[in-house]
Amino acid sequence: MYKALNSSLPTDREVVLGILNNSDETLNKLYRGYFPMILQFILNNNGNEDDAKDVFQESVIVLYNKIKAGDFELSSKLKTYIYSVCRRIWLKRLAQDHKKTNNINDYEDVLIVDDDLEKHDEQDRRLKKMNEALEGLGEPCKTIIQDFYLNNLSMQDISEKFGYTNTDNAKTQKYKCLQRLKKIFFNG
Amino acid sequence: MRRDLELDAIIEDYLNGKLSAAEQEAFEQLRSNDPEVDEKVVSHKLFLEAMGEYAAQRELLDKMDQIHADMDVTGLSAKLGPHPSKIVNFWRRNRMGIAVAASFILLCSMVVENYLRQSKQVGSYEQLDRKIEKVKRSQDNLIRTVNSAAAADPEASLKPGSFGGTGFAISANGYVLTNYHVISGADSLYLQNNNGDSFRATPVFTDSQNDIAILKIDDKNFSAFAALPYTLKKGKTGIGEVVYTLGFPKDDAVLGEGYVSSVTGFNSDSIQYQVAVPVNPGNSGGPLLDNSGNIVGMISGKDNRPDGAAFAVKSKYILEAINSIPADSLNKKIAVSKRNLLSGLKRTQQVEKLQDYVFMVKVYKD
Repeated sequence: MYKALNSSLPTDREVVLGILNNSDETLNKLYRGYFPMILQFILNNNGNEDDAKDVFQESVIVLYNKIKAGDFELSSKLKTYIYSVCRRIWLKRLAQDHKKTNNINDYEDVLIVDDDLEKHDEQDRRLKKMNEALEGLGEPCKTIIQDFYLNNLSMQDISEKFGYTNTDNAKTQKYKCLQRLKKIFFNG
Repeated sequence: MRRDLELDAIIEDYLNGKLSAAEQEAFEQLRSNDPEVDEKVVSHKLFLEAMGEYAAQRELLDKMDQIHADMDVTGLSAKLGPHPSKIVNFWRRNRMGIAVAASFILLCSMVVENYLRQSKQVGSYEQLDRKIEKVKRSQDNLIRTVNSAAAADPEASLKPGSFGGTGFAISANGYVLTNYHVISGADSLYLQNNNGDSFRATPVFTDSQNDIAILKIDDKNFSAFAALPYTLKKGKTGIGEVVYTLGFPKDDAVLGEGYVSSVTGFNSDSIQYQVAVPVNPGNSGGPLLDNSGNIVGMISGKDNRPDGAAFAVKSKYILEAINSIPADSLNKKIAVSKRNLLSGLKRTQQVEKLQDYVFMVKVYKD
């Protein structure tokens, strides 16, 4: 079924180099090349399109982290790796929802990827906590922090955006917000 | 508060490497002297790392969402997803189970078919002798008598089992024809006519292959018949010839009428005709006559399927049997009638004349 799609798949080497260089082009090829395989797997194993999207994106994050950490060996085929990660994630979700996990229809070979996913789960917990802390912050703190740390705006920009009379007021506000955020993040 | 704010800004600039060399040295000095400052640096470093990871992941997810939105996911789903038909889906999902079930069913049907085929070969030809009801009971009686060893009244309790068929006279001096299977294994034979008179008979000739037996009435109460009203047909009878039989499927004579439906019998056996005449157990050995009163055969059995055909031994083989009896084993010659008195009569008159020559054959077996 993938004969036609295979031609559009980027080479494994291309993907590794592209990820290390933060290439958007590589991400695009990777996504379009491998998503259909995972879509087929999820749809035929009690999932829908949204499940496929979540699972596949999570597997790309795992792949990025692994390649950026220098762990990815080209000896294992990228396709097999992505499939195995998605399969593992999906089985875990099915088990959490108390759905049956025997009788899984497999479309590819499967690698043991438990270690990678354990690392990923650890990171995921940390980032979920960060997300919760940000959401719990409320406005205007959430936007100020996001603008400063995620969108890389300067304090000058932020001061103008929020209509502070001077940058020092903005800095004071940001300081207060940051203290609260750290408190939630470290203790919450 | 002011001081904390300044310190935080410096820590952040320090971690981001934005301090000048001199400032950095001064700050490191402060950090090594003040554990509180050091702790703040460590915690802020952790925080910034987490924030960095968070930012990177958010960015990656945003990019992927954009790519995803550009794709025709619905179209892909239709192509790759489960088939819309429930049957196809069921098949895909339960391929293994279905295969196992199918092989099981196949195996069962093979076993059953095999069994049916065997039983067809063995038992689909049903011989039409009648088992008279008391058999089982009387045998039980016998067993009981023996077991209890109380020989109170052996005459009454030792009633032999009875089987019944039909027979008909083939000569005026007391020779009667019936099926071999009716009388095989008999200890004693009685022929009972339509008036209820019984005559003791003994077999003088048996041919198990053609299922023919010739009995001789051997009873002091028997005087010769009047001339037989029918003749044995020497030639062949064709399909469509109207035929009838008189027999004893019950205690009174029963007429069955039909036609010859095939010139061969069960499994194309050339010894028999196939006839479309209603027959039942007890009809075995009955004469099969055509409209002119010729014996064309002798009822011998039927196919045991619900609407199965009946079969009759051809008259030709009856004649052969009669002629093959060695003359010295008979104390009287079998004189087959040459005159036909039934020809041209109505069926009721034919039956009236016929019934004096047709007997219920009662067979007693231990």
